[in-house]
Amino acid sequence: MITGHYKTRYTADEGIWSTWPKQAGLVAALVALAVLPLIANNYVLLLAGQIAIFIIAVVGLNVLVGYTGLMSLGHGAFFAIGAYTTVAVHHEFPNTFPLITLLISIAVAAAFGVLFGLPSLRVKGLYLAVATLSANFIVLFLIRQEWLAEWTGGVSGTETPNAVLFGYELRSQRAQYYFIVPIMLIMLLFAQNLFRTRFGRALIAIRDKDYSAEILGISLYSHKLKSFAISAAYCGAAGCLWAYFFPAILPEDFGLNMSITLVVCLVAGGMGRTLGPVFGTVLILLVPEILKIVFANVTDGDANAQMLFSPMRDIAFGVLIIGFLIFEPMGLVSIWDRFWRFVDRWPFSK
Amino acid sequence: MAMKRRTVLKAGAALAAATMAPAIVRAETKQWRVAASLPMTGPFATAGQLVAPAFAEFEQQVNDSGGIGGRPIKVEVEDSGYIPRNALANFQRAMAGGDLHFYFGDSTGFMELVGPTLEGDNAVMMGSTSFASSLANPAERPYQFMAGPTYEDQFEILLKDIADKGGKTVAFVYSDTEFGRDPIEHGRKVAADLGIEVVLEEVTKAEGADIENHVTKLAQANPEYTILQGYVTGVWPQLIGGARAFGLQTQFMGTFWGMEKVIADRVTDQAGPFLDGYQGVMPYRYFYDQEDAPFYQQLGAYKKSINPDFPGYVVTWELEGRLNLELWKLCMNRVIEADKPVTPDNLMAELRAIDNWDSGGFFGQPVDVVDHKIGQGRVYRYSADSKLFTPVSDWIQV
Repeated sequence: MITGHYKTRYTADEGIWSTWPKQAGLVAALVALAVLPLIANNYVLLLAGQIAIFIIAVVGLNVLVGYTGLMSLGHGAFFAIGAYTTVAVHHEFPNTFPLITLLISIAVAAAFGVLFGLPSLRVKGLYLAVATLSANFIVLFLIRQEWLAEWTGGVSGTETPNAVLFGYELRSQRAQYYFIVPIMLIMLLFAQNLFRTRFGRALIAIRDKDYSAEILGISLYSHKLKSFAISAAYCGAAGCLWAYFFPAILPEDFGLNMSITLVVCLVAGGMGRTLGPVFGTVLILLVPEILKIVFANVTDGDANAQMLFSPMRDIAFGVLIIGFLIFEPMGLVSIWDRFWRFVDRWPFSK
Repeated sequence: MAMKRRTVLKAGAALAAATMAPAIVRAETKQWRVAASLPMTGPFATAGQLVAPAFAEFEQQVNDSGGIGGRPIKVEVEDSGYIPRNALANFQRAMAGGDLHFYFGDSTGFMELVGPTLEGDNAVMMGSTSFASSLANPAERPYQFMAGPTYEDQFEILLKDIADKGGKTVAFVYSDTEFGRDPIEHGRKVAADLGIEVVLEEVTKAEGADIENHVTKLAQANPEYTILQGYVTGVWPQLIGGARAFGLQTQFMGTFWGMEKVIADRVTDQAGPFLDGYQGVMPYRYFYDQEDAPFYQQLGAYKKSINPDFPGYVVTWELEGRLNLELWKLCMNRVIEADKPVTPDNLMAELRAIDNWDSGGFFGQPVDVVDHKIGQGRVYRYSADSKLFTPVSDWIQV
C-alpha cells in the first residue's frame, strides 16, 4: 500500500504539485480557465469574474484568519478601499497603467490594514472580531462624505474606469476576465508560497499558540500587523479589480454584508489552506445562481410563482450551508484531500 | 450536383418569404421577451411582492388579446434581493437566453450599474422602479427611461404647490442614501427661486432613525412645510407620529415611495389617525379614481375576473410597473406599425416621440415623454377618516 512519496531531490520535496496526477490536474485547470471565455456567454463571464475577484479577497482573509488565527469582520472595508483608490487614482491621473493602480490600491489597503489591525495587539477572538467591525462603518462613513464625493461619488456611488493595457481598453467581460484571472493565479501562488517561508511559519506558530511563538522569539507586534497588512492588501487588490470589472460602484456594495460573505466563503472552503478559499468562493457565489436557474426552470419565470419560490430559494440555500457544515465541518477542501488520497493510493484505495 | 425542380421551388419560396415579408417578421423570434428583476426577498420584499402581479397579469392580458403584432409575449421575472450585483447577473442571464425586448430593473443602483454596459449587442430598452434624476438623461443613458417624473421634478412640484399656497418656510428631511439625497440640491435652487426659505436640512438613517432627535430639530426650526424624501415603508410614519405627539403643526409632504395608501392605512390602523392631512406628490391617479379612466376600469374588471376577492385597489407601486410595460407595448406597436425592425434604438425613438398620449387612466391628462421621463404630478392629501388620498392641486407640469 502506498503510504507516501519517495523523493530523492530537495527540489522535489519543495514542489507544490508533487505527483503527476496533481500536475495533470493543474494543467487541465489552467487550460479550462484559458478556454472558458471562448465558449462562455456574458452571464458566465460575469460570474467567473466575480468569483475570481472574491477568491483574491478570501485568500487574503485566509492569511489573517486561517493562518494567523486572528478574526476579522471588517475586510469588506479593505475591499472598498481598493476599489475607491482605483477610482481616485484614475480621477487624478486618468491614464495610469492598471498594474500601477493595482499596486497603489494594494499599498493603500495595506496601510489601512495596519491601522485597523492595531486592536489585534491587545485583543483576540470575538473581541477582535467586534473591533474589526468598526472598519466597515468608518470606511463607509468616509466614502459617503460629501467632501470626498469628488473622488468617491458620495452616497450616489461613482462610475469606474476601464483598464487600458498598452492602448487596448478592456471593455468586454472577456477581455476583463483575461486581465483578472492571471492576477488571481499569481496571488494564489504567492499565498501558497508565503507559508513555506520563515515568516509564514511564524504566522502559523502565532495561530497555534501565540505565547509559545513569542517565547521562541517571534515578535507578535510585528507579525500580527504584517499579517493584517498582507490580508488587507489582497482585499485591496480585489477591490481594484472590482472597480475595473464593474462599470459603477456604490458604497452599499462594500458593507457588512460583504465582510460576512468573505468569512462565509472561507469557512465553507476550509481555513488555513490555500485552496479552501477557492472552493468556498465557488460554492457560495455559484450555488445561489444555480438555485436561481433551477427555480427559474421550475417556474418558467412566472411572476406569481417567483413570488412564492424566491423566499424558498433563500431557505434552500441556508439549509444547504447548514447541512454542508454539519457533514463537512473542515470545509470543502477536506473533500479535495480525500479525493487526492484516493488517487495517490489507487488501486489500493477504498 | 443536379438540382431537382422541387428543390428549386422550395428555395424560391423561402427567398420570397425572406425578402417580401415585413422586416419585423424576418428579423424577430417567435415571441417578444420581457424580463424583470424584482426585490422579492430582502429589505424591499414588500414592494417587490406587490409589484410582481403586474408582470404576470400583463403577460396574460396581452396574450389573451392576441399578443403584440400577432406574436405572444413571454415575461420572465427573477428575484434580486435588492442587490444591484444580483440584478446585473439576472440581466446578463436574461440576455444570454435569447432576444430580449424589454428589461425592468429594481433599483437606482442596478440602473447605474448596468447603464454604461448598454451598448451594441448588449443594448435593450429598460425601465425601472427608480425615479433617480440621473436616469432621465438621453445622452448618457440612451436606453433607460422612467415612467413618471424624477425625484427632482417631484420636489419641484411640491415646492411650487407650497409657493402657490403662500408658504414661506420649508424643511427637507431625507435619508442618508442616494435615494434620499437625489433631489436636495435641486430643491434648494427651486426653493430659492420661489422665495421659500429652507430652514432645516435634516439627514436621517434610512431605517431605525433617531426620531426624537430629528423631531426636536424640526421643533427648533419650526417650518411651515416639511418634505420627506428617501423612505418607503419606515421612518416617515414614525417622524410624523413623533412630530404630532410633540405638538408640531408643520405640514408634512412626501414623494412617490412615501405616498402609498396601503402603508398609510396600515399606520392609521395600528397607531391612530396622525397621518390625517399628510400630503405628497403622486405622478399617477390612485386606482380608485376611475372616472374617465377606461384602462383602470378594464384592469379592475380583469383583476376581479381572475380573483373574486380583489379588493378594488391596486397599489401605486404596481401601477408604476404596469405603466412601464404599457409604454413598452405602445412603442412596440408603433415600431411594428411603421414596419421597422424591433431594435432598442427604434423602440427608444418611439418612446421619445410620445406626445400628447392618453394613457387611459394613469395620468389625469395627456402626457409627453421629454428627456426619457414624464414630468408631471399632482399633490394629494390623505384623510384618516376616508383612508383615501384626494387631490389638492391640479396636475403640475415641470
